[in-house]
Amino acid sequence: MGEIRFLSEDKLRQWLEELSRDCSVWAPVKEDEAVVFRLFDSTKELSLERQPTAPPKEALFPKSETMLLYRYQKDPEDPGKQSLELKERQPVGRQIVFGARPCGARGFTIFDPVFEEGAYHDPYYQVRREKTSFVTLTCTTPENSCFCHWVGSSPSDPAGSDVLLTPVEGGYALEAVTEKGAQLLDSDLLVEGEAKRQEAEAVKQGASEALGQAPDLSDVPERLFELFEDLDFWERMSAKCISCGACTYLCPTCYCFNISDEPSGLAGKRVRSWDNCMSYLFTLEGSGHNPRPTKAHRLRNRVGHKFSYYPELHQGIFACCGCGRCIKSCPVCVDIREIVMSAKEHADAS
Amino acid sequence: MDELKQALKEEVPELDCLMAWGQGFDPLHATPLFIRDAGEVDQVIWNPLCVQNLATYLPGLKGKRVGVLVKGCDSRSVVELLQEKLINRDEVTVFGLPCSGVLDLKKLAARMPEDFGMVREVDLQEDKLVITTAKQTHTFDKQELLPTKCLTCQYPNPVIADRVFGETKSPVEPAEGRYFDLEALEERSLPERLEYWKRELDRCIRCYACRNACPLCVCRDHCIAETREPSWLRQEDTVREKLMFQMIHAMHLAGRCTECGECERVCPMDIPVLTFKRKLNKDLLELFRYEAGVDETAVPPLMTFQVDEENINERGW
Amino acid sequence: MPHSANPYLPAIGTVQEIIQETPGIKTFRVTLNEPGAMEGFEFKPGQVGQLSVFGSGESTFVINSPPTRKEFLQFSVMRVGEVTTALHGLKVGDQLGVRAPLGNWFPFEEMKGKDIVFIGGGIGMAPLRTLLLYMLDNREDYGDISIIYGARSPQDLCYTYEFEEWRSLGANLTLTVDHEFPDWDGRVGFVPSVLAEEAPSPYNTVAVTCGPPIMIKFVLKGLKELEFEDEQIITTLEKRMKCGIGLCGRCNIGTHYVCVDGPVFSYAELQRLPAEL
Repeated sequence: MGEIRFLSEDKLRQWLEELSRDCSVWAPVKEDEAVVFRLFDSTKELSLERQPTAPPKEALFPKSETMLLYRYQKDPEDPGKQSLELKERQPVGRQIVFGARPCGARGFTIFDPVFEEGAYHDPYYQVRREKTSFVTLTCTTPENSCFCHWVGSSPSDPAGSDVLLTPVEGGYALEAVTEKGAQLLDSDLLVEGEAKRQEAEAVKQGASEALGQAPDLSDVPERLFELFEDLDFWERMSAKCISCGACTYLCPTCYCFNISDEPSGLAGKRVRSWDNCMSYLFTLEGSGHNPRPTKAHRLRNRVGHKFSYYPELHQGIFACCGCGRCIKSCPVCVDIREIVMSAKEHADAS
Repeated sequence: MDELKQALKEEVPELDCLMAWGQGFDPLHATPLFIRDAGEVDQVIWNPLCVQNLATYLPGLKGKRVGVLVKGCDSRSVVELLQEKLINRDEVTVFGLPCSGVLDLKKLAARMPEDFGMVREVDLQEDKLVITTAKQTHTFDKQELLPTKCLTCQYPNPVIADRVFGETKSPVEPAEGRYFDLEALEERSLPERLEYWKRELDRCIRCYACRNACPLCVCRDHCIAETREPSWLRQEDTVREKLMFQMIHAMHLAGRCTECGECERVCPMDIPVLTFKRKLNKDLLELFRYEAGVDETAVPPLMTFQVDEENINERGW
Repeated sequence: MPHSANPYLPAIGTVQEIIQETPGIKTFRVTLNEPGAMEGFEFKPGQVGQLSVFGSGESTFVINSPPTRKEFLQFSVMRVGEVTTALHGLKVGDQLGVRAPLGNWFPFEEMKGKDIVFIGGGIGMAPLRTLLLYMLDNREDYGDISIIYGARSPQDLCYTYEFEEWRSLGANLTLTVDHEFPDWDGRVGFVPSVLAEEAPSPYNTVAVTCGPPIMIKFVLKGLKELEFEDEQIITTLEKRMKCGIGLCGRCNIGTHYVCVDGPVFSYAELQRLPAEL
């Protein structure tokens, strides 16, 4: 850890208000029993005690966004002829995401190699990424669905964050993870916090210990590849799945999207929106052929992508941050940990 | 419980698949089990945590011999599916379980926000629930944790079953009336109601868990919410599209919805979507004195035509 | 078109000519509007483009004209769904969006000095045409060039107006239709059967095939029976696509995205990927 600053609990709101002066601040608030990220304003009460229901994915990857506007214009002299005009839409404005957990911020490190470092760069994501900072809250106690340590992360993982806040007596210990983060700590509301260092370390240590031991998943990509043809295995794993999109949309690392045109007469928008590979329509071809016709095929692809294909393309990193939302929010409690372990054990047995 | 397990063990060899509940990822959660082997029957649990409506899997398994465990509310889904000929009676073996209510986990989470995810042990007693978590032990009154559907349950005993296990239970007659939960909204003006729904639906993520969990939504792979030819809904994230989906969904279910409550239970964003369907059901009860999923031979009122409706005054006299 | 700063932004093109190939297939000859765009447009045979009819959407089609003939970019479209129906509704002079070139290309460099066998079915001839014409325009670089092209009926054959040109430029063309037809006095038989009858030798030969999935399946089988090695068989795949640039996660077969790592694959590569066609 570098330099530690301390923010007392009663100054938290003030600090967020101060940060809101120059940019939009997203913070978790409770709506009924769900906790979602909303633009912070002083009327809203923060909800920081549990992992938010939805991850902060929307800050960099909105549920829907207009990529471009189009307009056909008929030639008044010759109505059969038209001209076409296209206009790009670009995201604007700086943002701070406050109060995500390390798993939520880590999710974007999975997006980055795909959206920013491949042969093609996604300008919409890139602009937002540059303009967004993450002030992340470390976890003190894991939930039953947490498994961040299985995938190389931890309750205090700094990956993807700019500032880490660790809850300590009376407030929070803050540390900058990046240059961007260091600038955010430049406030009179924050005081020198060296005295809190040991306590913060102990909190982090305690959280990691509470998670226990992680199984070794290094052979999982290979096992899943071997199990590809075993549809019986995938049918059993997917029997209770109802093919909705809850797991996908709440997953901090899922980035599949759709592009659709939404017309209004002769003009309209080309919109990018969240899509999910658990849907039958995802790979349905115009001819009627569908390479993934059943939920067994689709679950195989989802688990395969996260624990086999992505690691193969990106230095062994799993496209999963272990946040457990897919388990908690699944209507029927499909547990991806169970599937991954079954794959490990199944292959050993055969 | 032993009687149930014994019966299941006997029946499993005759079936391609038996659907029951087993322990989920933590002591608070049950999960559907798909049993093919008598040896797996020991994993079956039956208690107020068994919230999933297993009838939702039946249409997908048409053509196979399946067994299914159902609570009172779930059994109405079975009847509705039979009424619509979406399943074949001779392929389904129904194990009926009279039920005095399940637990609404969202109500529970509201009462223990800090440690809902850290449950170590659950002790389900007659009227109480004792929950031990990583941080503390809680005791709750079971009554506080019943979902609306259980607080107004008219059919605690399965309306269809090949075998029944457990004592008969009595229906619940809330003093405030069967649809008391709708009063708060009904008292509001239309603009106020719209504001309410705008606020609730804004966080909807269009996961369609509500649609997919519904036993009657068998057209989910071809849903108007996602089709392009014609395109009924835009893929933009606006309340307009999401409210339109809920309206269409409720209308498609009118006269068919048995209020199993799965749509609302499964919503990961805690949006009270069952309200739409209950409101329509209330209207259906008043207008046509009809409830779905009770009588296999009945014809739903919206699928038939009467020249003169009993309760609809069309001609002004 | 070089990698634009925004890979989602199409260039605007104009429909110059439309040819009705068959009742359900139209060929569009398109030029890019921006001055200098056509001259600057570089692509290799096998690469694809996403054509947009705004309001309906985008769909992927191979650029089936070769880089040696750049008066226009040619795309052949079979009408199957929303976007293709909208494309079929276009007239000469209409505007459309073009995002190209995308994807990989046929290994035309490695194929130099070899004999080539093209095996196409129906609209599968479209991707083969770009490579065929490229090779015919660079005739000395390649050995014997043979084509087996079949369709359900004579009406379903595309590019009929070009067959003479192909022959005159040095290709052997064998046409076939699935059944007897009154005005057809050519070959009759399914493409895989004709392949077996023609029995091309695998020696120093590369086979390139494209057509309906069922035809490809039997052609692959037939080529293996003729003792073609996996590396000697090239095909081009189709998948539902949206972004076309390897991001949206839809068109993958295991680790490979058909829009970026394909659509051209050798049979050897396909064997190493999971069976998810």
